[in-house]
Amino acid sequence: MRTAGVEQRELQGGCPLWLIDRPGPAILSAKLWIRGGSAADPNGQRGRSQLLAGVLSRGCGRLSGENLADLVEGRGAGLRCEAAEDGTLISLKCASDDATLLLPLLLQMVSSPWLVEDQITLERQLNLQTLQRQKEDPFQVAHDQLRHQLYGDGPYGHDPLGVEAELAQLGQPELQQCTQQLGQGGAVLVMAGQLPEQPEGLLLEGLDGQGWSTQAPVRQPGALGLKRGSLASKLDDTEQLVLMLGTTTGPLGSEQALALRLLHCHLGIGMSSRLFVALREEHGLAYDVGVHYPARLGDAPFVFHLSSSSDRAKEASQELLNEWLRLLEKPISEEQLELAKAKFRGQEALGRQTCSQIADRHALVLGHGLPFDFADQCLIEAEALTPDDLHQAAKALLQQPCLSLCGPDEAIKVAETVWNQHPLNRG
Amino acid sequence: MGQTQDFLSLSGLNTTPLPEPQRGQLANGTTLVQLDLPNAPVVCLDFWCRAGSGVEGPEESGIAHFLEHMVFKGSRRLQAGEFDLRIEALGGNSNAATGFDDVHYHVLIPPEACGEALELLTDLVLQPRLDAKDFDMERQVVLEELAQSEDQPEEVAFQQLLKQSCLNHAYGLPILGAREALLGHTPESMAAFHDRHYRADRCCLSVAGPLAALELDALLANSALAGLKPSERDVRPVALQFEPGEERLELPRLEAARLLMAWPLPGAADQMSVVGGDLITTLLAEGRRSRLVERLREQLRLVESVDLDLNVLESGCLVLLEAVCEPEQLSAVRAEINAVLLGLLQESPSDAEVDRARRLVGNGYRFSLEAPSAVAAMVGNSALWGREHNLQSPLDWLDEWDGRRLGQELVPQLQPQRAFVLEAVPA
Repeated sequence: MRTAGVEQRELQGGCPLWLIDRPGPAILSAKLWIRGGSAADPNGQRGRSQLLAGVLSRGCGRLSGENLADLVEGRGAGLRCEAAEDGTLISLKCASDDATLLLPLLLQMVSSPWLVEDQITLERQLNLQTLQRQKEDPFQVAHDQLRHQLYGDGPYGHDPLGVEAELAQLGQPELQQCTQQLGQGGAVLVMAGQLPEQPEGLLLEGLDGQGWSTQAPVRQPGALGLKRGSLASKLDDTEQLVLMLGTTTGPLGSEQALALRLLHCHLGIGMSSRLFVALREEHGLAYDVGVHYPARLGDAPFVFHLSSSSDRAKEASQELLNEWLRLLEKPISEEQLELAKAKFRGQEALGRQTCSQIADRHALVLGHGLPFDFADQCLIEAEALTPDDLHQAAKALLQQPCLSLCGPDEAIKVAETVWNQHPLNRG
Repeated sequence: MGQTQDFLSLSGLNTTPLPEPQRGQLANGTTLVQLDLPNAPVVCLDFWCRAGSGVEGPEESGIAHFLEHMVFKGSRRLQAGEFDLRIEALGGNSNAATGFDDVHYHVLIPPEACGEALELLTDLVLQPRLDAKDFDMERQVVLEELAQSEDQPEEVAFQQLLKQSCLNHAYGLPILGAREALLGHTPESMAAFHDRHYRADRCCLSVAGPLAALELDALLANSALAGLKPSERDVRPVALQFEPGEERLELPRLEAARLLMAWPLPGAADQMSVVGGDLITTLLAEGRRSRLVERLREQLRLVESVDLDLNVLESGCLVLLEAVCEPEQLSAVRAEINAVLLGLLQESPSDAEVDRARRLVGNGYRFSLEAPSAVAAMVGNSALWGREHNLQSPLDWLDEWDGRRLGQELVPQLQPQRAFVLEAVPA
């Protein structure tokens, strides 16, 4: 499908280049999405993708880390490299006039990073410190625990930052190997904003005529979940009990994913959403309550989260479990579905406000091997879905959830009792 | 693709001209400001009022923020939850935030639904229902919000920093309020607070987005805004009281130590100083080549991170520093920060350094103008406080600073002996 202002090209070496012309503010956003994030970390080297992502901007091509930082920061630009579960994303945002100077960095970073031992040591130390500090946040603790319940030691089973003991062992040889694999699983570059005249020339600058070898990402199965209900608890001396209730579902673009996305809108988007109204407005049980359902190449998690004062642990856990059970027991109403669809359309419009948002969303979809106009197709397909479609998806995908608790002893005991007696816990 | 445009050269940045805010006033004195962003997909309506926690009386701790919650529980014409439902069914969303100085309520909405959203928003905010049963329920939610923030030790540390340094000024008190005080509030006391502060001359409505065909003027003149009464007496922000000092705090659940520092700067009315503050904080702590990050994280490797933020406030701005490190490194971190600050005093920053900061600040500002919500907030807040500059002005002011002026006017204000220093260590 052709959209006005959109062009697809291919760079020497095979990387697809999508150009989205968006005149107006003289801004350029470029997103290079490379298949293979933390889910591709080999066991024993968990944290490798993120460590490499951090080191990519610490020197490449003819530029040392300092030269590179001088160049980017000196133009007031933003450059970020981060590994997520399924991909490593390099994001550049700059004034359009600076594209000439900055675009050449993108492919140089992935094809000829310096990987200086001293800079690896620094980046590794920072990641280790961040992992340690994250334990201050009870939500993070509950989330890490749930991740392990959902995925075990599988590819999605660890924080992209890594596993402390394994991260501590990583060095130049492992990153060297990881760099050689960059792009083998496919990559895509999306640029949105006021575009330069000859982007290919700029992107290939400094590659010594070699190009960067990759290809368009294709659809392929991703990491699997364990699909086994369980309970796990972590003691913490907090005022609130954090509850996370979740399971693993399917990939972005899979058969029932759109129905589940509409359920997500129904349950967790906006202040009229079911969980917000039921738990916060009707019971005053929480300030923060919602649903986490990220796009994944493999079995995506679908998670309810809530934190409530310890002395209300019983009511909070009962209500949360009941909300999940309700999804399995009966379809939502036509009226609720219409509202969910309105939210889905609204979310799409709100997510297209800036060049970065636009580039980001297209890079993600293309990185998953889906068509450029995937989001638009979903908007059309969503209209045809019925309450029964959503109910079938819930019954197929949301059986046997796992409950993860983090908080003080008393509250955990109460919530565990609720869980043990609840019909959801049949496994 | 690629276009030629007439560029205006400012700050060494090539820039396109920025749109001009259209200002107006209703007959009763309510301020209006509109900004046309023809390419934006949504409109942002942003209602601002000078009713932050700073105007709370001694018995009113937390009532400004609690009121912000209660507003969403309905008005004379709208049932509890009806506002969210109708806005979200139109494909929009809404939220609100309470600060020390002001509160704002905003809606993002597709342009075709803007008129209806305007009517709903003004009705909701200006005629809250404050039902007694809803009041008790929402108090629970606010108490949960308080508990959630108290479970984040970093937030506890920042709250202590402000409490210790701002003496009896409102900026030293928590916006969420004290638990005992929250338990004492009544719908009547809240209605009195609303009536006292939500007055024509203390309110502003800001609208940003594709406005050309909307003809909002008539709608605005007939909205609930027109029914606002003027204030009985003028309440102005009280000048910030600030006392340098130091404190060491042991906090449970902290995993890494924090060094926090606070400095006062002139209030938001002094926009030239605000811009200078942006420049100096950026020069010191944004990016790998900023002085503090380079010295403490990159070279000496004493910290996981070091951040320096300018909080723009009416009574007096606050510059807040946070360094995250191992407890045993605290004194070394502190000594190095002091050395960096002193170094700036002895030798003014170089032109290249200032230029780097200027581009980062200027681009950050320009990038933020892409999103209607950021634009509406910026022009709305300025108009609320009687600042009538256009969007271009901050970029022009950036050009009035150079290394020498920063060194003479701002660097002396950010010296260690003028700071309140808080060391937080794991208990």
